[in-house]
Amino acid sequence: MKLLERDAFLDQLTDLLARAAGGQGRLVLLGGEAGAGKTALVQQLCHARAGGARVLLGACDALTTPRPLGPLVDIALVAGGELQRVLEGGEPRDRLFASFLAEISAGERPCIVVFEDMHWADDATLDLLRYLGRRIGGARALLIVTYRSDEVGARHPLRVALGDLATAAVTRLILPPLSLDAVRSLMKESPLDPVLVHGRTGGNPFFVTELLAAHGPGTPATVRDAILARVARLSAAGQAALEAAAVIGTRIEPWLLLVLAAPAAALDECLATGMLQAAEDVLAFRHELVREAVLETLSPLRRTELHRGALAALRNRPDAVQLAARLAHHAEAAGDNEAVLAYAPAAARQAAALKAHREAVSQYTRALRCAGGMPPAPRAELLEALAYQCYLTDRHDEAVVAWAQALELRRALGDPLREGDILRWLSRPLWYLGRHAEAEASVRSALRVLEPLPPGAELGWAYSDLARLHMTARQSAAAIDWGEQAAALGERLGDTALRSHALNNVGCARLQNGDERGWVQLDRSLELALAGNHEEHAGRAYANLSTRALASLQLDRAARYLDEGLAYAIDHDVQTYYLCMLGSRPYQLLRQGRWSEATDVATLLLARPALSPLYRIEGLVALGRIRARRGDPEVAAVLDEALRLATPIGGVWLATVQAARAEAAWLAGDAARAADEARGAFDEAIEHNDRWLAGELALALWRAGRLNALPPAAAEPYALQIAGQWRAAAAQWQAFGCPYDAAQALVDGDEPALREALATFERLGARAASGMAARRLRALGVRGVPRGPRSATRANVAGLTAREVEIWSLLGEERRNAEIAERLFLSPRTVDHHVSSILTKLGVRSRAEAARCARERGAPAAQPHNRAS
Amino acid sequence: MPRYLVERSFPDGLGIPLNDEGAAACLAVVGNNADHGVTWVQSYVSEDKRKTYCIYDGPDPEAIRRAAAHNQLPVDRITKISVLDPYFYR
Repeated sequence: MKLLERDAFLDQLTDLLARAAGGQGRLVLLGGEAGAGKTALVQQLCHARAGGARVLLGACDALTTPRPLGPLVDIALVAGGELQRVLEGGEPRDRLFASFLAEISAGERPCIVVFEDMHWADDATLDLLRYLGRRIGGARALLIVTYRSDEVGARHPLRVALGDLATAAVTRLILPPLSLDAVRSLMKESPLDPVLVHGRTGGNPFFVTELLAAHGPGTPATVRDAILARVARLSAAGQAALEAAAVIGTRIEPWLLLVLAAPAAALDECLATGMLQAAEDVLAFRHELVREAVLETLSPLRRTELHRGALAALRNRPDAVQLAARLAHHAEAAGDNEAVLAYAPAAARQAAALKAHREAVSQYTRALRCAGGMPPAPRAELLEALAYQCYLTDRHDEAVVAWAQALELRRALGDPLREGDILRWLSRPLWYLGRHAEAEASVRSALRVLEPLPPGAELGWAYSDLARLHMTARQSAAAIDWGEQAAALGERLGDTALRSHALNNVGCARLQNGDERGWVQLDRSLELALAGNHEEHAGRAYANLSTRALASLQLDRAARYLDEGLAYAIDHDVQTYYLCMLGSRPYQLLRQGRWSEATDVATLLLARPALSPLYRIEGLVALGRIRARRGDPEVAAVLDEALRLATPIGGVWLATVQAARAEAAWLAGDAARAADEARGAFDEAIEHNDRWLAGELALALWRAGRLNALPPAAAEPYALQIAGQWRAAAAQWQAFGCPYDAAQALVDGDEPALREALATFERLGARAASGMAARRLRALGVRGVPRGPRSATRANVAGLTAREVEIWSLLGEERRNAEIAERLFLSPRTVDHHVSSILTKLGVRSRAEAARCARERGAPAAQPHNRAS
Repeated sequence: MPRYLVERSFPDGLGIPLNDEGAAACLAVVGNNADHGVTWVQSYVSEDKRKTYCIYDGPDPEAIRRAAAHNQLPVDRITKISVLDPYFYR
C-alpha cells in the first residue's frame, strides 16, 4: 500500500537506517496524534526499505498499570537466545539491559528495533530508553520509538525521559495530518465532499479511512462514531467477540478469545472484516483506537463479566505467576478483592525488582485499596513497601503518609524494631520536603525506641541518618560524632551499605570544616558502595563528592564527578541522587560561564513533577541569576518563587536565594536593595561557614557602603576585591575557571581592565554588566564605547555554544586537544569535554569527521571574537 | 503564554528575498520554533533593515533564546510585553 505524503519521512528513515548499517546507530522519536499513521509508516519501512535488516518489534500495554519492560519481553520471546535466558533467569536489570543492547548490536545484519506506543511505557521501559539512547550511537541499529504526541504533556514521564536524552543521537519526527489534496486523492471513488471530510477528520489518516469505510447514512462526526458504524455491521456474535477481544488487551491470544466468546465463526468474521488482524501467533486490533472505542461501549455489567472470565482462564495457566500484572488488572476490574490481593503484591514485587517504580507504586496502591479486611501485620508490610517505592521516586508526600500509617500499625502490634526503623526512614522524605525539624525529631524518636534493643543495623542506620541531618545543617562536630558511631557499628556488623553511608557523612562534615582528610572518607564511601553494588549509596557518594568539589570551587573536579555520577544514576535508576546532581550542575556551569547549558539543565530540572523544593530552589536560583545577568525579563518570577520555597526551610537554602536576589537587585542598578537582601543572609552564611556565600554577600554590602568589617570566613577572591586588589582577585577567579566573576573584579580596575571585562561580558551575553562596564569607561573619559548592546551572541549551528564553535573551528584546522587547550587557556580535560559534546551535537562519530564537517559546512573561522575590539 | 518583544541587530542588513526561497526561510524558522514551544507572531523591521523587533509567544525567555540559536538569529534584548489598546480606556 502506498502511503500518502509520507515519502519524505520514509526517505529520511531509510537514510538513517543506511547510516545505522554503517555503524552510526540512531534513536528516532516518531510522534503524531493517534491515527496519524505512525505504525503504518514503520511497517512500510520494515517491509519495503529494510534491505535485509533484522526487525524486532515490541509494544507497550494500554493496561491501567502496564507490565514492566513490555517491549523488551516481546522482543526477547522472538529473539530467544541469551536475551531470553537472562530475562527468564531473573537476572539484575543492568544485565538485562546490557544483554538487550548486545542483541540489537551484535548480529551480522543491522537491526530495526521498534518500541510502539511509548506514551504508555512503564518506568523500567523508560529507563531502557534512556540506557539505549545514550549508547545507540555505537550500535548498528535504528531504534524507532512511536508515541502519541497529543497525549504527552510537559510533565508526562516520556517527556521527562526524552529531556534526559537531549544530547544523545536522537532524531525527532512528528507526522503531520494529511493535506486536502491527499484526502481528495483518497476519495476518488467516494460520493462525499472532500472538503467536508478533510475538515471533519482534521486530515487524520486513520479517521479518513474509517469515515470512508463507514458509508452509512450521513457522515460520522467523530472517529469513534466512524469506528462504531463499522462495528455495528458485524453479526451479534462477531460484536461479542470484538468486545471480549477489547477486554483482553492489545495482544490477544486466540485461545483466550475462544474461551470468552465461544464460536470460532465469530472470530473468523472479525478477521475477515479486518476488525482484527493476526500478528505472529496472537491477534490484535486493526488500530488501538478501535479497541478503545469498543471498550467504551461496554456496559459495566458486561465488562465485569468479561474481566471475570479472563481472570478465571488466565489464573489456571501454569505460567500464571509471570502474568501477575495482567491478572491484577483483570481482578480489580472484575471486582474480585481476594484475587487482587493474590496478584497485585506479586506484580508490585516484580515491578520493583525491575525498578519499574511507578508501576510498583500503583500495584501496591491497588492492593491496599482492596485490603480492607487484612490483618495489621501484612497490611503494614504493604504500606512499608509502598512508602519505600514512593521515596525512591521522589514522591515524598506520599511516602510520609504511607510510613506514618505503617508506624501506627507497628506500634499497635508492639514491634519496636520495625517501629524504630520506620521512624528513621520517615526522616528522609521529611528532609526532602524541607521539614528538617520534623526529620530530626523522627530520628531522635527512632533512637529512643532502638537503643534499649540489642544493637543491630536498624540502630546503625538511625545513627547514620542523624549524622546526615547534622551534616546537611552544617553542624559538623555532631555529624562526625554520630557518623563515626554508625561506621563502627557498620564495621562490626559487616554491613558495607551502612559503612558507606556513615563514611559519606563523616567525610562531608570534615570537608565542611576545612579538614581535607574528608576526601579520603568520601572516596572510601564511593568505593564501598560500588564494590557492594549499593546503587543508592554510590549515587549519594557521587552527589556528595560533586557537592564538596563545588563548595571548594574545584569546578573541573566537580564536573568529572557529575559526569560520572549522572551517567551512573541514570543507568542504575537512582532517581533521588540523579535529581540531586542535576540540581548541582547549573551552579558548576554558571560559574564556568556556560549559561545556555546551565539554563537547559535548570529547565529540565524544573519540568520534573513533584520535585523536592530543595532542588527546585537550585534550578530557580540558576535561572534567576542568568536572566538577571543577561538582562532578560522574569527575574522576579523565579526568585520570588525560590524565596517562597526557601523561607520555611531557612538555613543556607534561604541564604542562597537571598544572595541571588541581591545580585539581581545590584544588576538592576539598586545597590541599596541589594544590600538589604544580602543583610539577612550574611550572618547565616558566616554561621554556617559557607565561604563563597559569605564573600559574595560581603561584596554586596561593601558595594552599598554597608560592610563594617570583612568577615574572616569570606572566600579569598572576594576579600581581595573588597581590599581593592582587583587584579589579584581577577587572577584568582581566572584560575578557578570563572570568567564572569573575573570580569566583575576587573570592573573595579583601570581602562584596560574595564575593556577586558567588557569584552568578556559581551562574549557571555551579560548585557546588564556590560552596560555597567561601558558606563564606567565613559565616566573615565574613554571615547568610542558602544552605547547599545552589540549582537555579539550570534547563534550557532546545531545548537553549539560559542565556546564549542571556537573549538570546532580549531578541530577543522586539525589541531590536537593539547594545542586547543593552550590556545584557549583551558584545561585539556575541559577541551575533551567540549569535543565530545561537539561530536554529539553534530551527530558525528569522530573528530576527523567533525573536522571535515567544519571545513565543508564552514565553521566560523577561529577569530578571537571574545577579545576586545 | 507570555508574550515577548525580541530585538535583533543585523550589522549587514536583513535580506529575505520576496520569493520561494524567502518563504521557505520563514517557514523553516516557524518549524524550528515549534521544537521549542515558541511562536513567532510578527516582526517590525527598521528602514535600514539593521534592526528587527519581533513579537513572540513562548514559555520563558530561555525558550526564546534556544529558538534563536536554532535559527541562527541574534538576540540583543528580550522584553516581556502585554497589549495596550488605544481604545481600551474609552
